[in-house]
Amino acid sequence: MRESDATLLSRSPKDGRGASETCIHSLQPFTAILSFPQPPSPYFCQPSIDWPAMFADELKTLRRLGFRHVLLQILNFASVLASGLMIWKGLGLITNTESPIVVVLSGSMEPAFYRGDLLFLTNPANEKYHTGDITVYKVPGADIPIVHRVLETHDGAKIGRRASIVASPLSQDQLLLTKGDNNYIDDIELYQGLEWLERKHIVGKVRGFLPYIGYVTIAMNDFPQLKYALLGGLGLLALIQRE
Amino acid sequence: MHSIYARINNISALLSTSLMCLLGAIAVSSYFFTADPKGLLDVSSIQVFPGNARRYVNKNQDFAFVNFNVSADLTPLFNWNTKQLFLYLSAEYTNPQGIRNDVVIWDKIVRRKEDANIDIAGRNKYVFREPSSSFKNIPPAHYTLKYNVMPYVGVLTYGEAARTKEPVAFPESRDLS
Repeated sequence: MRESDATLLSRSPKDGRGASETCIHSLQPFTAILSFPQPPSPYFCQPSIDWPAMFADELKTLRRLGFRHVLLQILNFASVLASGLMIWKGLGLITNTESPIVVVLSGSMEPAFYRGDLLFLTNPANEKYHTGDITVYKVPGADIPIVHRVLETHDGAKIGRRASIVASPLSQDQLLLTKGDNNYIDDIELYQGLEWLERKHIVGKVRGFLPYIGYVTIAMNDFPQLKYALLGGLGLLALIQRE
Repeated sequence: MHSIYARINNISALLSTSLMCLLGAIAVSSYFFTADPKGLLDVSSIQVFPGNARRYVNKNQDFAFVNFNVSADLTPLFNWNTKQLFLYLSAEYTNPQGIRNDVVIWDKIVRRKEDANIDIAGRNKYVFREPSSSFKNIPPAHYTLKYNVMPYVGVLTYGEAARTKEPVAFPESRDLS
């Protein structure tokens, strides 16, 4: 195996952000410390945050608002999740790829792409790939997609018998060879026994680039607690939200 | 309504919105830089030698070795949103079966504007082979220098900086042994 491994990718998160505008009254004493102009409130002189009391407060509101309110909030939360999923899938339909936004996980395309960079992909069905295009591909047997640059294209060719290359009657048939900018040699060793990439292995081609943003998902993958804390926190906020 | 929580929320919403607008504006600004520099490329020599294929020890395979001279001033491609240039030199030819081939034989990453005025006499970095394993009866190939402008944020753009005037023929394969 080569020491500089492939640039690996993960899908970016599918859920949208929940509306999280919630006022927690017990936090108000801090405003005095930061000296914002603040109308006097009944909680103003509370010495410190009393967490059990705060939750008792919230529970009381929950009881006052009733079961229907809880149901409504669950519905709200579900609609936020569903619209996030719809946006993701709609983007996938427009761009014709299964994952239109991906995050770079390793360094084989440095200095072009670093870990945590966000890439936007398209996969136009009737457009050929060219040398120099940066493609994301997934070969059977490999579980993670790889983003590398196209080194060779052979248009109108397909794999014939005994791994020979023959002309194909289908004009969209194309054989590709890729290489990572930061690797010394091409990717044949990464192809799991294949000698060429075919069109069906390509997930998409990189069209746009946004640095660093994908680090959020990397952090969530590396520390699953963070993911659960975030999801749990969002869910709790959605439930106890008042307006 | 004036709790610290609401204030943090408002400030972070404002900050992230303005950051996104700024990044969007920078990405769009790249469309107004429409430099299209041209340079010169010529192939000084090509040699073809037989050798063993990488995977199959018994299979013979022709390898082409290309020496080339390239000079181009690509400094106009550097603007405030250019992170790097990826230059690559590829051979384009159609073989007798009608397969159109495009093979990158050399590339270079340029990261600074000061290095973008290139004048290089080089030879191929990557293995140049024909999928049918022989360069016999292969029509002459065009060689082109292309570039990929990679931005700090935004859309990747491509262009062609130089092309050989005449297609260059492949010579007979010579066995050295």
